[in-house]
Amino acid sequence: MSRFGSSLSGLVPVTFANPLSAVQWAVLAGVPVGIIALYFLKLRRRPVQVASTLLWRRSLEDLHVNSLFQRLRKNLLLFLQLLAVLLAMFALSGPRIKGSSTQANRFILAIDESASMAATDVAPTRLEKAKSEAEKVIANMEKNDLMMIVAFSDRARVVSNYTSNQDLLRRRLSSIKPTQNTTSLREALQVIAGLANPSTDRTARDLPEGVIAVNSAMAPKLSVFTDGGFPDVEGLSIGNVEPEVVVIGPASAMPDAPKPGEPKAKKTPPSDNVAILALSASRDEEKPDQFQVFGRVRNYREESVKTEARLIRHDPKKPGSAGTLLDAIALSIGPQAEQSFKFDLNDNGLAELEVRLDVKDSLPLDNRAFTVFGTPRKAQVLLVTLRNRYLTDSLKTLSDLSDVTQMTPEEAKATDVKRDVGSGKYDLVIYDGVRPDAAPEANALYFGVLPPGKAFEKPKVVDGPVILDWDVAHPMMQYVRDLNTVLVQKAVTCELPSGSATLIESSGGPIAFVAPRMGFVDAVIGFALMDGAKFNTNWQLKSSFPLFLYNTLRALGNARESSGTEAHLPGMPVVLRADSSATEVEVIGPDGKSVETVKRSPQGTFLFNGARSTGLYRARWGKDESMSFAVNLFDGRESDLSPRGLVPEGLSESQADSYKIKIGFNAVKGTRRTAPAIKDYWWPLAVGMLGIILLEWYIYNRRVYV
Amino acid sequence: MSTASTHAPLLDAEFLHKLEQLELVSRKIFVGRMKGERKSKRRGSSVEFADHRNYTSGDDLRHIDWNVYGRLDKLFLKLFLEEEDLHFYTLLDTSLSMDFGEPTKLQYGKQVAAALSFIGLVNHDRVMMDAFSTALDRGMPSVRGRSQMYRVVGYLDSLQASGQSDLTAAAKAFAIKHSGKGIVVVISDFLDKRGYQDALRYLLARNLDIYVVHVLSKEEVEPELTGDLKLVDAEDDDIAEITISAPLLKRYKDNLNAFVGGLKQWCTKRGITYIFTTNHNPFDKLILNYLRERGLVK
Repeated sequence: MSRFGSSLSGLVPVTFANPLSAVQWAVLAGVPVGIIALYFLKLRRRPVQVASTLLWRRSLEDLHVNSLFQRLRKNLLLFLQLLAVLLAMFALSGPRIKGSSTQANRFILAIDESASMAATDVAPTRLEKAKSEAEKVIANMEKNDLMMIVAFSDRARVVSNYTSNQDLLRRRLSSIKPTQNTTSLREALQVIAGLANPSTDRTARDLPEGVIAVNSAMAPKLSVFTDGGFPDVEGLSIGNVEPEVVVIGPASAMPDAPKPGEPKAKKTPPSDNVAILALSASRDEEKPDQFQVFGRVRNYREESVKTEARLIRHDPKKPGSAGTLLDAIALSIGPQAEQSFKFDLNDNGLAELEVRLDVKDSLPLDNRAFTVFGTPRKAQVLLVTLRNRYLTDSLKTLSDLSDVTQMTPEEAKATDVKRDVGSGKYDLVIYDGVRPDAAPEANALYFGVLPPGKAFEKPKVVDGPVILDWDVAHPMMQYVRDLNTVLVQKAVTCELPSGSATLIESSGGPIAFVAPRMGFVDAVIGFALMDGAKFNTNWQLKSSFPLFLYNTLRALGNARESSGTEAHLPGMPVVLRADSSATEVEVIGPDGKSVETVKRSPQGTFLFNGARSTGLYRARWGKDESMSFAVNLFDGRESDLSPRGLVPEGLSESQADSYKIKIGFNAVKGTRRTAPAIKDYWWPLAVGMLGIILLEWYIYNRRVYV
Repeated sequence: MSTASTHAPLLDAEFLHKLEQLELVSRKIFVGRMKGERKSKRRGSSVEFADHRNYTSGDDLRHIDWNVYGRLDKLFLKLFLEEEDLHFYTLLDTSLSMDFGEPTKLQYGKQVAAALSFIGLVNHDRVMMDAFSTALDRGMPSVRGRSQMYRVVGYLDSLQASGQSDLTAAAKAFAIKHSGKGIVVVISDFLDKRGYQDALRYLLARNLDIYVVHVLSKEEVEPELTGDLKLVDAEDDDIAEITISAPLLKRYKDNLNAFVGGLKQWCTKRGITYIFTTNHNPFDKLILNYLRERGLVK
């Protein structure tokens, strides 16, 4: 940039699109000099013959009386010309306020709509602040700029596709409402990377690894309006998108610079929030008639906080009611510390519980936590076996987890049983050495036989396989440790269909595996437990066998432990397992008013997608059957309101890096506000020049003089 | 800026029509008012009998009324009204500066001169015409009577714009050339850098009844010039470089008004009748104006 440009930009944030060298400036500066020279050289006058110059001469003599001032006035046209030329030069150099292009720009606004954005430490809320910041970007759009708006929490949705319609963008922007979801920038970036440069998608596929297809158009500018409550996104290429993070948060929340000697300062400055991060209930081991509710509270403030955790019981029959206070515990939590709490309760059957913190902070959402206790749901199991004492006895020990119906293969062929199996009455059907004609409408566990179906038409019998390995990571094989002591006489195996996972690998191939089937799972143990009256294996004598059955009931039998409720996050789908063969389930929201009907999915479950906010939900079906579930935030990152991504002043590059938000392969420094949008200012100058020329024309023709 | 109208025949139908109207007007006036208007002090050889008087010795015998002598036996002299001719002079500026405007000032001046001469001829005045530019030209010998109008027109048609105007020299020559008293109408734009005062003084010294018809073109009164101009004087090729601007134009008009006003004041002070006109003013109106100034029309 030339000296002229830089000195000018010192006053106002003006840069030049076509910065000129000193020589070029000198040449340009010669233009007005030339005009002046031409003015002082002989003016080319039009000769006009008049009758006599007598009167004109006298007039000129009069005018020459105060000649200097007259000359200045006479040269008004010259001044106007000089002004016009200066403006033209200025316009040619392409002044602009921040920014770098003369062509259409693409902007992507990613608005964080996660739970933490509902915090009120920025008036009115962080989300509103983010929206108003985003609106500024919209207001600064040029006519042919394109803008896309993406709202993201744990998922991303395109609020507005690329458009240059500012009104539409504003309307779409204002439609963004706060959610109670967690944050995942990765989701947003994946959506954005796909949509940002639509034309690059196809070409990118043909490019070799490591080459990023760059659209010939301008690199889209991504502005992420967030409080930084998400993990760094690493190892994701966002193409040529230029990311910018606008950190929304209170002005005081600037992280401390590291003190000398310390490698890093605490990166999270205190924030005004006290949150329940965990809550669960379980039966008291020592007193079976009692259960315990325990949880964890974190204080994010700089000073310690004294508060009260109140346990409130809600009546399942009266959804949305205020509930009754059962107990309260005083809590005193140190600055930026955690504390646990515990309530003891008598078991009075189904309990819907809420723990509420009596504290006023910026994010009220996480001051309440919910749990449901005492809603055991037993797995409905159909055991088809001739007679297997070990299997039946083992299942009996799991009777609090399952209702087992046992029948022989003959009985199982009865029409009404077939109808029950086909209608999804059972969660799990165990075929012990019996291969059914058709697969049941349920998950299935096979012992010693392969499931029906084409994929299993070519069985391979393995004699005396030696168990080599088993997949302890699989939920069905959890805590199964002693399979190396298990002996197997004869097993059947086959080529595994696609999507299968091997459970037990033997010297003769996989002898136990799981295979997906139309939304259900077939688990196959390739060896029967009994060979007639003799043992085919000694597994049923090992402690891992009931453990395996327990895992299987939990994994395939849709059974839940009575003590715990599954953790449901706001915005995530909730799988409801209604006991009966009801075709629909009504779900009542936490306010007790909103009712949503869910139809049974092909898998026999009910998938509820309406758990948008935290609280207690109740599912009702049939005559008088219901179940409750709780939706909680329970996310330390969301509850931690300190904005991330701001870099304190005076840090070295490497120190600053640790503060930055990593997006793709770049570390992006957060800014407080979005950079002023690119504005080219050559055209007002050009219009001004035109105006001056018109004025000159007017003055010249109308002989108007000041 | 010489235009076709300079050479257009002076006596076109419209012009003649206007002249006839003027004739009627002037006749009406003159019938009632001319009687004894310019009665000569001399009684002489006119045809119009006026009176008798007694013969005294030394009287011209030719004037004795012999019929009366025969009847009364007394000598009476016949007295006739001496018709003193009104000498009507026009002095027309034919310098190059008159060759401007549409119609040109010269053409306009010719029309005025022709019209005034016509009125003069109709009233049996002795009409003489002179033109000048650098110097006084030969002029037209005096004519009288309506029938001589063609000579007036012929003379005027022969005049062409040429040379610089030297009003003073012309006036001096004019004063020497014409001794008779009478009316002189000076038709000029008076754009003479040497001034007009001396010239008019020469005429005043002749005890002439002076009428000044100051003709300017519309372009001179309201110039429609724009831009940066090099004004070239038609007569002496003097160059004035100007850039047209509102103040300059204002100053020009002020100067023009001062010039016209100065001339008028100068004339009025000395009993000279001053008539200002532009070439766009219909000449017949100007003639009526002239007649009004002469007191012939009220």
